[in-house]
Amino acid sequence: MKNNIAVIAQHSQNAVDPITYEAIACALELCDKDCSRIEVIIPGEQTEKAAREIADTSGMEVIALEHSLLQFYNAEAYVRALTGTLNDLAPEYVVLPHTSTGFDLAPALAIKLKASCITAVEDINHDKGKHSFIRSLSSGRLYAEVVPETKSTVITVQPGAWQAASNSSGNTGRISTRTPDIEACKSRTVEIKHAVYKGTDIAKSEVIVSAGRGIGKKENLQLLYDLAGIFKKSAVGCSRPVCDAGWMEYSHQVGVTGATVSPKLYFACGISGALQHISGIRGAQTIIAVNTDPQARIFGIADYCVVEDLTEFLPVLMEEFKTMKHTG
Amino acid sequence: MKVLVCIKQVYMSGTDMTIDTNTSWVHYKPGGFRINGYDEYALEEALLIKECTDKTEVHALSVGPARVEAAVKRAMEMGADEGIHVRHDKEGYVSPYHAASLVAAYAKDKHYDIILTGVMAEDDMQMQTGQMIAGMLDYPYATSVMYQKMATGQSLYVERECDNRSRECIELSMPCVLSIQSGINKPRYPSLSNILRARQQKIIEVPAKDFDASENREKVIRIFIPELKPKGVFLQGSQREKAAELLRILHEKVFI
Repeated sequence: MKNNIAVIAQHSQNAVDPITYEAIACALELCDKDCSRIEVIIPGEQTEKAAREIADTSGMEVIALEHSLLQFYNAEAYVRALTGTLNDLAPEYVVLPHTSTGFDLAPALAIKLKASCITAVEDINHDKGKHSFIRSLSSGRLYAEVVPETKSTVITVQPGAWQAASNSSGNTGRISTRTPDIEACKSRTVEIKHAVYKGTDIAKSEVIVSAGRGIGKKENLQLLYDLAGIFKKSAVGCSRPVCDAGWMEYSHQVGVTGATVSPKLYFACGISGALQHISGIRGAQTIIAVNTDPQARIFGIADYCVVEDLTEFLPVLMEEFKTMKHTG
Repeated sequence: MKVLVCIKQVYMSGTDMTIDTNTSWVHYKPGGFRINGYDEYALEEALLIKECTDKTEVHALSVGPARVEAAVKRAMEMGADEGIHVRHDKEGYVSPYHAASLVAAYAKDKHYDIILTGVMAEDDMQMQTGQMIAGMLDYPYATSVMYQKMATGQSLYVERECDNRSRECIELSMPCVLSIQSGINKPRYPSLSNILRARQQKIIEVPAKDFDASENREKVIRIFIPELKPKGVFLQGSQREKAAELLRILHEKVFI
């Protein structure tokens, strides 16, 4: 069997999103590192540069699907463009990154391909040539092992679960371009709005003190601002539930859908560590976490773990800091 | 207009989840069930649409066994005009594909203009059902919707939340499916008048077997509680000792 895995590349205006190479790494695991069985598909309007980059970086064959309706990501146009090509290739697996594009696209694509769909895959088990997929439930408190029962399966790959693939062969992949047949769509992507920052942009801060649902109430944010005050170039961020509760603006949200950050220090206060949050802080050099629950997922990635109630611990920390400064 | 909101009853008992060895599924304890939080945002959005358009009806639908009635009732108390219970007595894993095919089978001849779902369920976290319903009915869709408004009489303008704080702005013709992200609105509490009305009103019960809906396309062979593998060190001692140790580390690493 040849070419039986298709990876859908992610890019924005022809800049390849590096997450694509994590999806490729997962695809490589599915085919025992046999590059010849993988095709990378990149839908877009003018994809030459991005297709070239993927072919060079991965050494894999790339199929560019070019159409004016693919100028921006649009679920319907993408599904239509991809269905034809994927039906021709009849891959066993279609692999996408689990991003706002990937999870948007994958389930609808699975319907058109009569495939099963398994999202946010974090690991693969191999048993006598058969694959099963590990994904988390209930914010990581449980995990499930899932086996597809269809000929074809669409999976989305949790960011951070695989290390980006590099080109081990030194070869460069062949690129072919197709013009998909996309009939009139019932939806249209009008524009992409990028975030406009007021004040400090947390994505550029060297130290981020971040609040989770565990802060309990809005008033407790002051404890975090006090703590942030002891660091230079610091900012206060938060996890999504804090924004949903109306305690902080969405511009402060850290995570895949908020800001992806790479500070020197990330100080997580009352954050349980939902996957989308953890994925957004992968680039942090040092992580300190304070949480009352010793099983909190944030402790799985923190360098220094403090099992304490932050409303008690942070005031003590500040007192000790003042004492330390006085005594020099 | 007719708006259908799909709600899921989820089991979220907090942090102490255990696995029932008999069913190989989550051990359900009384009191742990509630409406999926994301679906409450979807329902609220439907009610907001109803408040600003003429002659709009909001129907709330849930798929599941008898216990799911409580979630449908709650949706009616929040303001849904009708409650529909697609009675499906299987416990354990019901895939998004299976649930979506039941919803699509129910909705296909009911002329809904908008079908709303939450962006995901808090228990399974699959993020699939809305897109699958759209795929089955051949409707346009958008996920992670953070803003929606009527564009023309026949289309909606929506903004969906994307990675790195960007938003995709999309126009969709109706009928369409939107899956709603948390934070788009503030879900309301039931009003007394709606509680009284819901008490009187019957839930429309439809047996799942009435539909020619497809079964799961994948199988969950086991669920398990992950072992937390800490990467770092847990600081020990009293609060004050931990604080002092942390400051020593911060100082050593030249953060302070």
